[in-house]
Amino acid sequence: MQIKINHIAKMEGHAGFMASVLQGDVKSSKIEVQEGIRLIEGVLIGRHFKDMPVVAQRICGICPVVHNLTSIKSIENALGVQVSEETKKLREIMELGQIIHSHALHLFFLSLADFFDIENDLKLVEKYPEMAKKAMRIREYGMEIIKVIGGRVIHPLNNEVGGFKKIPNADALKKIVFSSKEVLEEAMVLGNFFKKIKLPDFSRETEYVSLSKSGKYAIYDGDIISNQGLHIPVLNFENNFQELQKQKEVIKRVEHNGKSYMIGAIARINLNRNKLRPEAHKYLESLKWKFPNYNPFNNILAQMTEVIHAIEESSYLIRQVLHCNLENSLTKSYETKEGSGAAAVEAPRGTLYYHTEIDAKGYIKNVNIITPTAQFLSNLEEDIAEYIPRIIKLKGKDRERKMRAFIRAYDPCISCAVH
Amino acid sequence: MPKTKTKKSFLKKKSSDVEIKIKVSVENRKKIKKPKVAIISLTSCEGCQFALLDLGQKFLDFASSVEMVDFRLIEDEEDEEKTKLDLVLVEGNPVTKGNVKTLMRARKRSNLLVALGNCAAMGGVPEIKNYQERSNTIKHVYKYIQGVSNLDIKEIDNFVKVDFVFPGCPINSEEFLKYMPELLKNKIPTISDQPVCVECKKKGNRCLLLDKKPCFGPMILGGCDAVCPSSKMMCQGCRGLRPGGNIQAMRATLKNMMTDEEFENVSEIYGLRDDIEEKSVKMI
Repeated sequence: MQIKINHIAKMEGHAGFMASVLQGDVKSSKIEVQEGIRLIEGVLIGRHFKDMPVVAQRICGICPVVHNLTSIKSIENALGVQVSEETKKLREIMELGQIIHSHALHLFFLSLADFFDIENDLKLVEKYPEMAKKAMRIREYGMEIIKVIGGRVIHPLNNEVGGFKKIPNADALKKIVFSSKEVLEEAMVLGNFFKKIKLPDFSRETEYVSLSKSGKYAIYDGDIISNQGLHIPVLNFENNFQELQKQKEVIKRVEHNGKSYMIGAIARINLNRNKLRPEAHKYLESLKWKFPNYNPFNNILAQMTEVIHAIEESSYLIRQVLHCNLENSLTKSYETKEGSGAAAVEAPRGTLYYHTEIDAKGYIKNVNIITPTAQFLSNLEEDIAEYIPRIIKLKGKDRERKMRAFIRAYDPCISCAVH
Repeated sequence: MPKTKTKKSFLKKKSSDVEIKIKVSVENRKKIKKPKVAIISLTSCEGCQFALLDLGQKFLDFASSVEMVDFRLIEDEEDEEKTKLDLVLVEGNPVTKGNVKTLMRARKRSNLLVALGNCAAMGGVPEIKNYQERSNTIKHVYKYIQGVSNLDIKEIDNFVKVDFVFPGCPINSEEFLKYMPELLKNKIPTISDQPVCVECKKKGNRCLLLDKKPCFGPMILGGCDAVCPSSKMMCQGCRGLRPGGNIQAMRATLKNMMTDEEFENVSEIYGLRDDIEEKSVKMI
């Protein structure tokens, strides 16, 4: 028997799904990519490194900030450029804003309707107008952060190698801090609403991977760790994780020791939950999970927990930054030289990795971009293969609905994965 | 006391009048058919669709003022691509054969077809590939290239008639709200032919060119609120050449600020280079 979904909507990028089942055994399970190739790594070669953050962030319209930041960090590591603490903090705050608005979009507008059997968000908004307002308010908070610090929400403008072209307006930052209290309350209400959703009980053991940092819920930097004892600096990523292309496939999958693994909100919560801010910690406790938690549907609640954390953390960091000299975040002069640099930042969907090689004149010799969805794609397919036998007896349309819900809980971004 | 009473009853009467009026207008609205609109995306970052979603309530209001036949970012309902459309918005490049088919079908079923953003209108960042040694670009990225569709990047107007363009990378969503009402009445708006500089000056920015820093502002179509120069970043031309833009004068101004090669390189980022070359040939 073939199980086929032509096109999975409400997801970034274009893909379908195909599985073949023989007498109850799932023989194959595959996300079928319908996205064209843009060859972003290829078009960057031969261009000056200053073009790279501008071009690379256009890989993704929902998470441009993280592509921008990771490309900048990899270039800085290649050139040996050190940036100020103020710059690092402002960048981290931007990434928190990115996580807030991307998660809030996925939670409410992409995934939620799946659990109410509603097929159109306009109907969802009609049914839960108050929750929709809260989700939009939370998104606006995240977007405002990026706008104030980055100059624009989609494809920000102010960041560059070495620092910021322009410092953010202090009054606008204060307003964000001021609004954070109310937004946090809204997030708690939304969080309680999400708790009531009955998520399917499914779990399959896997390896969770994310960045980790002492004393902090790692987002902007850290080492790479896993729940199976891995602990390496980002520089060693490509020695430990293998990027593979199968014939006729445009997403290069990634394996760790020949096996699939999982990243993103559920991985970060499993690995770094002790470093969450107080309200986020309380919310997570109220979910009464046992750890390790291997239910991929719980990625949704892990994202909700991260939204709460990111609101608290962004407000805390902005208050810190307001006590610093913001002028220190302006770009300082640096020397262009030959070099190679690697960097990783936690994107909403997991660890984003860049490796950039630059020649003596500042032109790019080589780039490798390893996106979150490319990393968890095999894990997703293996999960669904194990999930299918449980829903095989459902009618075609109901089964399809369950599978779409499963795929969307992962929050895949096919645009990023193909790039 | 009696006075207040009369006032109250007066108010009551009024409000029931209003109620009736509202009822009538709702019924009228039901009779008036909402325009059928679809938003489709080819290969892209989907940032222009997100620019619409980021409008929040304003977008929801727009979406409920039309009949949204197909917008896969917010709805699961399969559309058989049979419904006739009043307007279709197209984002992205046709990079796969499937993309080309989707685009052609969209044109066939819709009265108006509108390009949504830089990729659809000008080729976007993927068009950089066209200026490189083509076969090499893909080899940098993939080991196995057999069976992988790698068409040249072409703007959608190479395949279908485009009635209007929302320019920019990403689009300016306020501009979207400004021109959509006209489009929904089947009228084609005109974006006024003024350079990015007009808004840049209005915002009180110091002109980059005055500081001998390159900027494409004078030859590029305004309407973006000069968002890049406001961030001290040169305009790189994502909204495209304006009809009255003088390329030769622009190049002359930039002569001492950037080399010809640098000029060409920057113009490649948003697919501007082929448009400049085409316009320069026409002028000769």
